[in-house]
Amino acid sequence: MAANDSPLDVQGLTKNYPSFTLQSVSFSLRPGAITGFIGRNGAGKTTTLNSILGYVKKDAGEVRFWGLDMERDADRIKQRIGFVSAGMTYYTRKPLKAITAVTRSFYPAWDGAAYQNALKRFGLEESKTPAALSNGMKIKYALALALSHRAELLILDEPTSGLDPVSREELVEIFLKLRDEGKTILFSTHITSDLEKCADQILFIQKGRLTADMPIDEFTDAYRLLECEGDVPAQAQALSLGERRTRKGRTVLIRRQDAQAAALPVRRPELEEIMVHLEKEEER
Amino acid sequence: MKLLKKELRLCLHPTAYLMPLLSALILVPNYPYTVSCFYVTLSIFFICLSARENHDAAYTLSLPVARKDAVKGRVLLSCCVETAQMLLLAVFLFLKSKIGYEQNAAGMDANLALLGEAFLVYGLFHLLFFPRLYRDLNQVGKAFAVASCAVFLYIVLSVVFTYAVPFVRDTLDTPDPEHQTEKLLFTAACAVFYAAATVLSVRVSIKRFEQMDLQL
Repeated sequence: MAANDSPLDVQGLTKNYPSFTLQSVSFSLRPGAITGFIGRNGAGKTTTLNSILGYVKKDAGEVRFWGLDMERDADRIKQRIGFVSAGMTYYTRKPLKAITAVTRSFYPAWDGAAYQNALKRFGLEESKTPAALSNGMKIKYALALALSHRAELLILDEPTSGLDPVSREELVEIFLKLRDEGKTILFSTHITSDLEKCADQILFIQKGRLTADMPIDEFTDAYRLLECEGDVPAQAQALSLGERRTRKGRTVLIRRQDAQAAALPVRRPELEEIMVHLEKEEER
Repeated sequence: MKLLKKELRLCLHPTAYLMPLLSALILVPNYPYTVSCFYVTLSIFFICLSARENHDAAYTLSLPVARKDAVKGRVLLSCCVETAQMLLLAVFLFLKSKIGYEQNAAGMDANLALLGEAFLVYGLFHLLFFPRLYRDLNQVGKAFAVASCAVFLYIVLSVVFTYAVPFVRDTLDTPDPEHQTEKLLFTAACAVFYAAATVLSVRVSIKRFEQMDLQL
């Protein structure tokens, strides 16, 4: 895919902090797909998103939206993207109506009817203040704003964190509907079960390095999980990508080809199991 | 204009309505009238403090707004509040002249040169407050402490000058319309200082804000 076709193309993104470095992160988003951005807390998800959006100044690398450079064309780009963060706490005592009135004035493409539809669809009342909204409703309000200026790319930073399972499910359904409408979504989270329900692609970041960028099915199919009730067999230990203790014994993550070659009694792991095993191995 | 509208609708702190009204303090006999300008700088501090608490910078930068325009919007709002105070000051100067002029023992008399002093106070405040604020938005209190110390020092000196500096004592600190031309020139020079200090403050603030990593 040419960089110009991609809603977001990131090359060699680097950001240095005294105790953390985002190391040359590169990826491209597929138009009309949901890309899940996973990694444990502190792995660099938020730093990556903040660097992409220009909230923090990158030390190196290029960020292009539809081929446009974020540093030179920020205004044009921001007309086409929407950023939704779980920690969104803007003007908590102002009515939504006031925030919307200001926000809409910055977007020539603002669609009042789409905004009203989004309010109805999400059950939002304009007279309420953000302080009076639950976390899930705050996310929905931020989504309503993004959809009303016809954002084509939605960047969501941990939108489902802190939400109950029903609210998370509801948001996941909304994301799927938005994907059906042709929106591209980049969705960072450490709640991998949400991604299994909606993501097409996966980006996996560990200690500031992007270690996987592929379709989610390909990612989960690349591994197998061996469940052992006693000790881990030596053969499995030699192939192990990561081990974890469980109530019954141990689980070992192994590459699919290795597991097949060794004819081990394995099963396909879930995204969370892959992430946990790989992180455990990284820690050792 | 869009940014000014945003500042007025979302960022304006209630004290920004209240503090300019303290221009009425010039009706009080023997009071350092430039202190009324300090109250306005206090309201600007509250605007910036409440902006920090409401994550205003993150919201503003999520809009199609350049960092430099975000800085200009905030300084423009401050200039609006200051202008409102100076207009009210002019109204109360006129009222005081009708009520009956009296010498002020605690600094500049209520006359045209007082407007010049207001320009000086605000220029000095801009020069020290905004560049420090836009180095670290979380340190709004420190920025205000430094700027208000300088403002207070100026207020004290301005009172001393009305006794110790012959030009201030004999020409500026006199009832209107005495030495009107000199007072007008003084006020114009102070307005030029205010404009220059504001432009410089904005330039330095933009430079610093452009380099800042926002903590969301």
